[in-house]
Amino acid sequence: MRPLYPKTAVILLLLSIVIFSGWTYWLKTIETGPYQFVYPANFGNRINIPNDNQTTRQGVYLGRMLFYEKRLSANNAISCSSCHQQAKAFTDGTVLSKGVDSVLTSRNSMSLTNLLWTRKFFWDGRASSLEEQAVFPLTNPHEMGQPLDISVRKLSETNEYPALFKLVFGDGNITPDRITKALAQFERTLISCNSKYDGYLKNTYKPTQDELKGIALFMNGPDPEKGIRGGNCAHCHGGVKNYMELFHNNGLDSIPKDIGIEALTGLSADRGRFKAPTLRNIALTAPYMHDGRFKTLNEVVDHYSDHIKESASLSTFIRGESNDKGGTSLNLRPQEKKELIAFLNMLTDSTFINDPRFSDPHLSSTLNKTKNTSK
Amino acid sequence: MKKLLVIILLSIAGLCQFVTANAQTAEKQATVKVSGEVTTPLELKLADMQLFPQTIVSRKDRDGKDHTYSGVILATILQKAGVTLGKDLRGENLTKYVKVEASDGYQVLFALAELDKDFTDRTIILATQVDGNPLAAGDGPFRIIVQDEKKPARCIKQVTTIKIEFAK
Repeated sequence: MRPLYPKTAVILLLLSIVIFSGWTYWLKTIETGPYQFVYPANFGNRINIPNDNQTTRQGVYLGRMLFYEKRLSANNAISCSSCHQQAKAFTDGTVLSKGVDSVLTSRNSMSLTNLLWTRKFFWDGRASSLEEQAVFPLTNPHEMGQPLDISVRKLSETNEYPALFKLVFGDGNITPDRITKALAQFERTLISCNSKYDGYLKNTYKPTQDELKGIALFMNGPDPEKGIRGGNCAHCHGGVKNYMELFHNNGLDSIPKDIGIEALTGLSADRGRFKAPTLRNIALTAPYMHDGRFKTLNEVVDHYSDHIKESASLSTFIRGESNDKGGTSLNLRPQEKKELIAFLNMLTDSTFINDPRFSDPHLSSTLNKTKNTSK
Repeated sequence: MKKLLVIILLSIAGLCQFVTANAQTAEKQATVKVSGEVTTPLELKLADMQLFPQTIVSRKDRDGKDHTYSGVILATILQKAGVTLGKDLRGENLTKYVKVEASDGYQVLFALAELDKDFTDRTIILATQVDGNPLAAGDGPFRIIVQDEKKPARCIKQVTTIKIEFAK
C-alpha cells in the first residue's frame, strides 16, 4: 500500500495539471473586445443598449453561458433556454410554461428575436431594458424561482464563472446586476435578418405568386369602395422588422380574463391590451397570442378575418374593418388566407435557428474539455 | 331566523357599497404628462384643459369629411411647463424636438419650432373635443390635431406623454 501512495499523488498532480491547462486553454479561446452587431441597413439604428452595459464579445459569451445555465433556477433543472429554445425561435411550443414549482406561467413564452431594437419588454411592455426584464423570469416562483443572491452564491462556487466574470467585468465579483447585464448582452445578439422576406427586400429572392399576393394582403388595408382587398396586418406588424412596438386590444374577448396593460395603468382603455409582437419566425412560434390560445397560423388568420370580439377597448384599427361594403369583419376568402400564411412563412429564418453562436455553449465546452484531457 | 335574515341583508348591502366604492376608485382618469426639457413637469387631466384658452381647428379625418376639433394650442401647454418657446427659441434650443406618445406606444415627433407662432401660423392643438363632443374612446381623451397637414399620421390619438428632448 505504501509504495503506491506517491504514484497516486503523481497521477493526481498530472491529472490536475491537464485539467487546469485545459481550463485555461478554454478561457483563452474566448474572444474579447467590442462586439460588432451585423444587420441590414434597412433595420435602422434605433437600437436600445444602456450606456452602462456596452456589448463585448466576452460579455456575450458569458451571457450565452448564463442563458443556458440551469444553476440559475431553484431546482437546477431550468434555464432561460427551457422556455426559449433556439429551434423554435426561442419559444417553447407550449401554451403556458411550467416553472420550478410546476405551476404554469400566466402568459405564453415570447420569441427572442431582434431585441436589440426593442424598448418595451413583455406582453405588457412593463420593462424598458433586457437587464430589467431578466430579473422577472429568474426570480418569479413560477418560472426559475431563485432569488438573485442565491444565484450569485451558486455561480461563485463554480470553477468557471468567477474567471468568466473577471474576463467580462474586470474582477471576479459576481453580482445580480452583472448576471442580468451579461444575459442582456447575449440576447441583443439574437438578430434574425436572413429570411426569404429579407431576400425579397434585397431583391435576391423572387417570391411565388401566393407569397406576392400574401404580401399585398398583409400590407393593404381593405377598401371595398376602391376594390382593394387586404388584412391591414402591416398597420401593427409592418416595417422591415415586422415589429412596431405597439400595444392593442385585438378583439380576442369581449371580457378578457387577463386584462393586460390595464393591470399596470388602471385605465379601462388599456383593457385586454397586449404587445403586437414581432412576426419574424412566426411559423416557428406556435401557439399564438399572450395566452397561447391559437394552435396554428390558420386559427390566427381566422380570428382576424372572422371572429373579432367587440369591446370598449377594442383597437379602432380593427373595429369594423371589412373587405365587403357595409361588412363588419375582414371576411377574407379561403385562398386569401392561404396567401397570407404563405407570406408569414417567408419570415422564417433557418440560419437564425441553426446559428451555432446562439446554441448551448455548455455542450461545446464539455466537448472541448474532453478533447483537451484526452490529448 | 328574522335576525339572521336582517344580518344577511345588511351584509349584502354593505358588500354592494364596498364594490361600488371600489369601482369608483378603480375608474382612473387618463392624463397627459409633459416632461423632459421643461422647468415644470405637468400632468394634465381632462378638467385641467379647461383652464387654458380654447382654440378650434378644422381638418379632414380619415373618413374624408371635415371635422371641428377644439382644445388647447400645444405651445400654450408647453409654455406653462417652461419650454423654451418665443424669444428663447434660438441657438441650441432649435435642436429640440417634441416626442408625443400614445397609449398604444405609437410615437410622432415635431421640431419645437413647428409649434411656435413666431415661426409658423399653422396651429397644432391638443384636442379634447370633436364637433362639440368629447373625443371617441378610441381617439381620446386627448388627441393632437395638426392644421392643414395632408396626412393624418401625426394627428396622434390617445396621447399619454409629451416629452421635450434635445437631438443628440
